[in-house]
Amino acid sequence: MKAVGARLPRYDGLAHVTGRTQYVDDVRVHGTLWTKALRSPHHSAAIRSIDTSKAEAIHGVHAVVTAKDVPHNVYGHLEALGVPADEPLLAADDVRWKGQPIAAVAAESEEIAQAAVEAIEIELEEREPILDIRTAPATGDEHFHQWGAIYPHFGPHNHRRVRKGDIDRAFDDADLIVEGVYRPQAIEHCPLETQVSLVVPEPSGRLTIYSCTQAMYFSMGVVAAHLQWPLNKLKFVGGTVGGGFGGKVDTATETICALLAIKARRPVKWRFTREEEFLCSSTRAPWHIEIRDAVTNDGWILGRRTLTIHDSGAYARFSPYGLTKHAFHHTGAYTIPNLRFDGFVVFTNRVPTTAMRGFGVTSVSLAVELHMARVADLLGMNPLELRLKNANRIGDTTGNRVVMHDPSTVPVTLAAADAAGLDLAAEYRSMTQARRTGDLLPEHLVAQQAPDGEDLATYRGANGGGR
Amino acid sequence: MAKQRGRGFATIEYPTGMNQNGDPSQAWIKLKPDGRVDVFAGTVDIGQGSKTVHTQIVADALGVPYDWVTMDNSNTDSSAVCTGTFASRGTFIGGNAVRYAAEKTRERILDIASKELEISADDLEIVDGEVLAKGAPDRKISIPDVAGAATYVYGELISGNGTALKPLAEVDDDDGSVTVEPHSAISYAACVIDVEVDDETGEVTVLKMLQVYDVGRAINPTLVEGQIEGGAMMGLGLGLLEECYPYYPSVDHRGEQFGSYLAPSLEDLPELENVILENPSIDGPFGAKAIGEMANNAQPPAIAAAIHDAVGVWVTQMPATPERVLRALQAKREPRREGKRVIYDEDISVAGLNADGGAVFWGVDG
Repeated sequence: MKAVGARLPRYDGLAHVTGRTQYVDDVRVHGTLWTKALRSPHHSAAIRSIDTSKAEAIHGVHAVVTAKDVPHNVYGHLEALGVPADEPLLAADDVRWKGQPIAAVAAESEEIAQAAVEAIEIELEEREPILDIRTAPATGDEHFHQWGAIYPHFGPHNHRRVRKGDIDRAFDDADLIVEGVYRPQAIEHCPLETQVSLVVPEPSGRLTIYSCTQAMYFSMGVVAAHLQWPLNKLKFVGGTVGGGFGGKVDTATETICALLAIKARRPVKWRFTREEEFLCSSTRAPWHIEIRDAVTNDGWILGRRTLTIHDSGAYARFSPYGLTKHAFHHTGAYTIPNLRFDGFVVFTNRVPTTAMRGFGVTSVSLAVELHMARVADLLGMNPLELRLKNANRIGDTTGNRVVMHDPSTVPVTLAAADAAGLDLAAEYRSMTQARRTGDLLPEHLVAQQAPDGEDLATYRGANGGGR
Repeated sequence: MAKQRGRGFATIEYPTGMNQNGDPSQAWIKLKPDGRVDVFAGTVDIGQGSKTVHTQIVADALGVPYDWVTMDNSNTDSSAVCTGTFASRGTFIGGNAVRYAAEKTRERILDIASKELEISADDLEIVDGEVLAKGAPDRKISIPDVAGAATYVYGELISGNGTALKPLAEVDDDDGSVTVEPHSAISYAACVIDVEVDDETGEVTVLKMLQVYDVGRAINPTLVEGQIEGGAMMGLGLGLLEECYPYYPSVDHRGEQFGSYLAPSLEDLPELENVILENPSIDGPFGAKAIGEMANNAQPPAIAAAIHDAVGVWVTQMPATPERVLRALQAKREPRREGKRVIYDEDISVAGLNADGGAVFWGVDG
């Protein structure tokens, strides 16, 4: 019997539904201490002083850590992709979002840990929070982030750009220019299992880290970088996660637990409360997308100008990555030969935003598809026919000059029309994803097309639009 | 005042793997002396069933029964590098890693079988746990016997490892062009959503979601349907319910528990119809493409378009709560026309909010 294609039952399904799967919170190690964090009560504030001595004196408290206990406090998770570090593991000079961790305590119980957190003396100087990405740059020099309001590290630019074809000519040639604004929202990942880890110091000097991470090697790299330890001193145990949706790409608890475990020389566990999960763990990013499409009365999209602003929250985290992915997919499932895209990552005083299911592209799908619906409505055109007309075809090139080999815009759209019993004109009903010819290859789509048989993954010559 | 029905569409695409690539997954496989198969990979199962899918891929790539295969993804000492379960990379990139490892393990099985049968490895094939001479299937040896011979006669461990890695795609910061395809296969989907809008309360009910996904090859159709249906509900939450900041960009009124944050639940479940298309990819395991993330992308715009179809207003700030629908119905805002420009949503645009027309954003050179 072939396994591939078979409706085999889940490998781990029986254990999941009978409650016998061991998640991180089910691991019991004798002598485990519990963690609580001192978090910023303000959206934005300067830290004037921190004194942990009263907390440390409480009976049952085994370790307190602040920024000065972290060997490498400011580490960027995407330094390898050219995103410099900006975020401290524990806040040192200022706090930039309500809930940002400043100090952490390991104690015999959660109650003692919480009492110790409340005994930490801290002086904060509250600042006015900056929250609207559309107007944040106007706040100028007073902006709270060391790089200013706008993330500045897309090579020489402060924005991610795509340039293709002749955008001005496309707008000159258009019959209509359709402009709209789309604002997908922040949501919480809502895993049933909140962020949790348990770090056990072993007699060998290693740390065993029970983790709910979605990415064991990635998180191991993060912990190793903060501790400045080699990988052979760490062992991540995980692989079974009670819901992630992107939120557990963040290494939320593991590093702080490791620091506390090293200092206390005891196993240390940190399990976020549901309130921490909602208020202090990262969210999906809110986006602001403005699209201006140059369209013809017969339904061709000649060109697109896009402005995207990504709400990064207080630090960069994965936002520059998400914006670049967004830029690469800003034409959706369609071929548009003339493009000008400018995307910005803007800092605000909210919880740093992070990866979530569809990162960078969920926002594109909303903006592009709702805009397509508007264009079809304005032109009085069947919305499926508008999509089929402008669909990706074999041999078309993307904004990045990637040659498309097997685009399925046409097959999935036709299958949806079939299943819903919708009428389409015969010319659309008979469409395929085959290379453009004849009426489907009007002058404005000729130059973007890769040569027939082009087998390179990308085609640098495809910078062509115009009409 | 009445309940109005409307229909909306969306067609979407989604890439496989980390944007710009450079994200390895590695795996290794060893055989026990009775021919049973141990797979070690770091692919975290976040509930979608990647352990099951990996096991299915290994079973067929080796040619052994599914229940001979055990997968261990439990720790970083025994598993090699996996960049992680995100970017819709589990089945495709993690799956390719275990497939490559299985192909190398298969070669080692054939080497030993070749010695035992005294037939060239090129003339052997593996079917259902047995190594057979091509064209002469009565000349055969079982994989348990191959593994036993390897262990106790030849003194060898049958094993294999594999790495799936597409090279990093550098981006030209001036024009966004790349020299290497910056992702693996692209998946596509389309959906048709029917809604009912109460024009008195602003409440929107999704009646039916018809969804079509091209997944290349459904390694496990039941798990693919799980992704489609779970994603559909998450998309419904994005379209109608969920919001960390109800008055964004304000940070006030944040929900701090499930009782004060509207996540979709079973009472919101509409009629679902799933269509799976299989247009195989050239480089995924058994032709697979990704399905994970894209499954919550098509619904929000299709819901918003359906609301327009029902009551004639565009809600472009998500989610389309009763308050937003009612405010749109009250405002009945028409786009401003200026020459051939048709300008919607001017009140929420950067041009509308900045005295300089948003020059910081719209006015960049080049």
